[in-house]
Order: sequence, then structure tokens, then C-alpha cells
Amino acid sequence: MKRLMAWQPWLTTLARLILAAVWFTAGWPKFTDTEGTIRSVRAFQLLPEALVRPFGYGLPLLELILGVLLVIGLGTRVAAILTGALMIMFLFGISWAWAQGLSINCGCFGNTGTAVTDPVPGYIKDILRDLGFLALAAFIAWRPFSRLSLDARLGMFPNGVTP
Amino acid sequence: MTNARAAKSTREKAAELRAEAARAEAKRKQLTITGAIAALIVVILGSYLLITKAKDDADARTAAANASPANLTNGGYLYGSSTAKVTLELYEDFLCPACKNAEAANGTQIEEWVKDGTVKVIYKPVAILDHASTDDYSTRSLNAAAAVINTKPEAFVAFHKALFDNQPAEGGPGLPDAKLVELAVAAGADKATIESAITGKTFENWTVKATEEFSKAGYNATPTFVVNGTKVASSDPAVVKAAVDAAAKS
Repeated sequence: MKRLMAWQPWLTTLARLILAAVWFTAGWPKFTDTEGTIRSVRAFQLLPEALVRPFGYGLPLLELILGVLLVIGLGTRVAAILTGALMIMFLFGISWAWAQGLSINCGCFGNTGTAVTDPVPGYIKDILRDLGFLALAAFIAWRPFSRLSLDARLGMFPNGVTP
Repeated sequence: MTNARAAKSTREKAAELRAEAARAEAKRKQLTITGAIAALIVVILGSYLLITKAKDDADARTAAANASPANLTNGGYLYGSSTAKVTLELYEDFLCPACKNAEAANGTQIEEWVKDGTVKVIYKPVAILDHASTDDYSTRSLNAAAAVINTKPEAFVAFHKALFDNQPAEGGPGLPDAKLVELAVAAGADKATIESAITGKTFENWTVKATEEFSKAGYNATPTFVVNGTKVASSDPAVVKAAVDAAAKS
């Protein structure tokens, strides 16, 4: 355990970079295909129509902002907490779609527009994947001090200790 | 207490105070940076939402000012007798390979149903795959279909078939406008009018509206077959036939 904790700053860096990559690959196709993203949001049948468009516009931008924060390591803890909150929201949305018997793609990495006859394997895969990302976000929020980060440069972690 | 001991204790105390001050300083920095980032996110997201809202409102005004194509029945192109008992709505994207397959698998059967008067088809093409071509082919082909319906509705079925027969692969460029014009003319449209509507994207706003209505109706993928208002589980010919037969009997 002690040895692991010696590596912790590098592990946090690795987790940051993985989640940043996730946000860029998920956020960019959503950001460039706004109408498709809005249709994906609507397909979950969770939000009232008045909120569907603002949500479809806002989510991809938030994902990209979080990606930038994580890659440069600025505000690491708050970025990780927001990442975890979004993962919990996605997990809820996917579980809801499954529980309602909806046949949809989650649109997590952009709206593909392809029909699904049996959505359950997709739901299971999405849930397991998002649980993994949630664990990474929780690790970062627990130990936000990391190498190659702006936070460390700005002196937010004297002696590598989280205040 | 000896003097040496007292000095050490003072040194320790001073070090402790310095560490305490450093921790407090770091904590203050944490709060400032966290607050600044949170505020920045709120400001960026907020202004972006205001901008997109303004854009949506402007688009809605343009769409209202622009006409929908003429000759639409219930938002689509009616093929068959309007008194047929069974209504089969077909939502398709001209770039969607599964739609091409569904057309090939169900085409003959649908043709028979229309001929014997059991089924009327309402073609409701949509544009959901613009991200899958390099030149917004879904929107361009849908605009071309709307232009054909607008000026020469009886050419639509042939044009629709020609678009699937000449379907480009996903991931690259779609058919160029000149090819769309050529196919429309071959299907029976008048060259001069169709050319200006295709190159001028006359019905682009309508394509957005038609696609949005598809989404608002609760559909999110193509092909979607709807029989008398109920979505068919798949476009498999046996499944479609079962749904149509049941609707014809009811």
C-alpha cells in the first residue's frame, strides 16, 4: 500500500489523461453534430421538450471543458467531481432507458442513427464502461495531487499533500 | 528547562507555524481556483446557451418564412389509395445502408399491397446521418426529394428508388448535386426547376423540421416502419407483413 501511494501522483496523472481522452472522443462528435445530439437526448424521454435543446447544446461543451481541465491538470478535484457527477447521470439515464424498455443507442460517443433491435447488450456495456470511468473519477477526487499538472505548479499541494 | 532545549522547541514551533501557514495558503489557493473554474464553466456554458438559443429562434423564423414542399400528405409523400385501410409510414435516410436493405427486402411486397389497395404508403424521408458523409449528403438528398415532391410528385417513387440504387458509401462524399439533378430528371422531373431547387437548397429548413418531427414522434433510428401509428419492431419482411396483416384484419 505504501508503495502504491508513492506512485499515486503518477496514477492520478494517468487517470486524468484517460478521462480527458474519454471526454474528447465523446464530446467532439456530439459538439459537431448538435442536431444528432439533441435527438439522442430526446430519445431518452427524460427531459421536458423545453430543456432538450439546451441540454443537447450544453452537454458536449461541458464535456470538452472537463477534458481540457483534466489534461492540463487545473482544478483537478472539481473537474473529477463534475466528471463523476456526469457519469452518475449517464448511469441513471441508461438504466432508465433499460427499465422503460426503450430501444435506443445511448449516443454516448455521438448519435449513430442506427436501429437497435436488442438494446440490452449495449446497455450492459455502457453501464460497465461508465462504472469504470466513475471509479477513475473517484480516485482523482480522493487524491487530486498529480504529476504534470498546473495545480502542482500553482502550489496547491505543498509537499505533495492534499490540504 | 535548559537553554538548548528551549531553542529547539522554538525552532520546532516556528517550523510548525510555517507549515501551518503553507497549508492555509494552499487551501486558500484551492478555494480560489475551484471557485474561478466553477464561475468560468457557468459563464462559458451560459453564454453558449444564449447564443444557440438566439440561433434557434432565428432558424425558426427562417423556417416559418420558407415554404414546405407542396403535395405533402400528413408530412410525407402519399403513395397508394388514400382510402386504404392500412397506413404504412416509412422513415428513411437516403444514406442509411439498412434502409437500402429494407427497401430491397420489402419493396416487392409493398408494391403488391399498394396495387391491391390494402396499404397506402407515406414516405417520410429524414436526414439524420449528416455526420456520416463529408458533404451533408443526408440533407442534400432529402432536399432533392422535397424538390421532386414539390414540382413533380408522380416522379417521387422512381426518384426514391434511384437514390437507393445509387446510394454512396458512408464516410465519404455523397452524390454530387449534378448527379442528384440527373437522377431526378431521369425520374421525370423538369430539369430547370429541379436544378435550382437542388443547388439552392430550397427546402433545407424543411428538412430540419421534418427530421425534428421524426425525433419528437419518439423515433431515433432509420429505417423505422410504422403501421397505423404503431412502430414495427424491425424492418424484417416477415415482421412487417405480420403487422400489416393484423392491421388489415382489425
